[in-house]
Amino acid sequence: MTAQSSRFILICSGKGGVGKTTLTANLGIALARQGARTAVLDADFGLRNLDLLLGLENRIVYTAQEVLADSCRLEQALVKHKQQPNLALLPAGNPRMLEWLKPEDMRKIAAMVGEHFDYVLIDAPAGIEGGFRNAMAAAQEAIVVTTPEVSAVRDADRVIGLLNSEGVKPIQLVLNRVRPKMMASQEMLAVDDVTDILALPLLGLVLEDEQVIVSTNRGEPLTLGEAGSPAARAYLNVARRLLGEDVPLIDPSQERRGLRARIGRLMQTKIF
Amino acid sequence: MNAVVVPPGWDGGPGWLVLPSPEGAATAVELVERALDEASLLADAPLPMGLGLAAAGWQLGVTQLRAVTERLAQSGVTLVALCSDDPRSRVAAAAIGLQTSPPLPQRPAGAQPPGPAGGPGLALQRGTLRSGDHLEVEGSVLVLGDVNPGACVRAGGHVLVWGRLRGIAHAGCQGDTEARIVALQLRPLQLRIADAVARGPEDSPPAGMAEQASLVEGEIRLDPAQPCWPLAARA
Repeated sequence: MTAQSSRFILICSGKGGVGKTTLTANLGIALARQGARTAVLDADFGLRNLDLLLGLENRIVYTAQEVLADSCRLEQALVKHKQQPNLALLPAGNPRMLEWLKPEDMRKIAAMVGEHFDYVLIDAPAGIEGGFRNAMAAAQEAIVVTTPEVSAVRDADRVIGLLNSEGVKPIQLVLNRVRPKMMASQEMLAVDDVTDILALPLLGLVLEDEQVIVSTNRGEPLTLGEAGSPAARAYLNVARRLLGEDVPLIDPSQERRGLRARIGRLMQTKIF
Repeated sequence: MNAVVVPPGWDGGPGWLVLPSPEGAATAVELVERALDEASLLADAPLPMGLGLAAAGWQLGVTQLRAVTERLAQSGVTLVALCSDDPRSRVAAAAIGLQTSPPLPQRPAGAQPPGPAGGPGLALQRGTLRSGDHLEVEGSVLVLGDVNPGACVRAGGHVLVWGRLRGIAHAGCQGDTEARIVALQLRPLQLRIADAVARGPEDSPPAGMAEQASLVEGEIRLDPAQPCWPLAARA
């Protein structure tokens, strides 16, 4: 596979804590499960934790820093996932690396990784300063993650403006931590409110799910297991849409009816 | 023709590097490079407040502006501002953190600010202005797209938005009290016309009706938009 045919996707949000790294980890696993050779690249050098989410922290020997300094080969720095050999992580270097890393370095690293993989997911840091600009330099397309909150949407809008001015496209949207009940009672921004402002195609809707916290702490992304929880299903659907499959979006107003209704719907689909 | 350096004035602002109008094949970066090679130009002028780029007639994108910034940084000069008559260049400059301004008006001191019909014409902004974008034009401006919350449009004349206005709009920012703000959907955070300021309405807008804001007896009033083009009406 050559660099031309691999896809470099930036995962960014502007605001912190909306789920960039969680999406990167889960999407990486989900893509790998579908058979795509996937690399996840931690561009959050200051506060790296993609390795934690993937449960690979104790396997890191070399980092992007050593690869750039030519003190190791790329293959040595790439950490293969335990259960999903299709997925590899390129860990970020020392936090001090931020000061000397340049957009060209990022491009160089990404091009090297792109020679071996179909998908390169770049986990951007929060904010719009140097770290984010470095991450953006290596990307061809982007996924903007946001939550249905005014501040997250505002920051996402700013980021989309920057991506536009750098010519990164297509830009797609993942709306994270959706609470159908709060949306129904209009205590939370509706899906339409968000897409109205951001004017981006919606790649996925991820429901608020306690299992995400459990899986983060364990270092086992939700998409590794059977798609039992709502968030796991959403992440898998995002991966399938990225691969070009036409998967309909969930409707939050239908999701809020509770467990009983959901079981009922499941039975219906089985019977008819 | 080569670029010219205007040293900072007594008021302590930035010095200016004035590009000639774009003729021939030279790009902005090449012209800046040529100016830097004539070392005496920049070396003699102390630039404590950095350097501004005056680029009348140029259309510069983020990539070009960043290249210029980097080239100047190599010589120890910080680019802080862009003065351009092209609104798109100013939006690009604002996006990478430069101060932006339209070209200095070249009218005699004490003259009346030009009205939208008599003064500079209509600037066209294609595409949505997103949060953090700041567009400022001398004449009137027509935005083809939305003005999102967190974005700001300022115009010497009218502000016309073919889309939803949800950010901040300032019409007649040089004191023209006849200026109007017209949008297909007028739900701004804040409206300003000349010196008057108003908060946007909070109820949801009437569907499918363009609205306008104008200054009536010193207060900003919202009405259904008049079915005529404001620029033509005053010509």
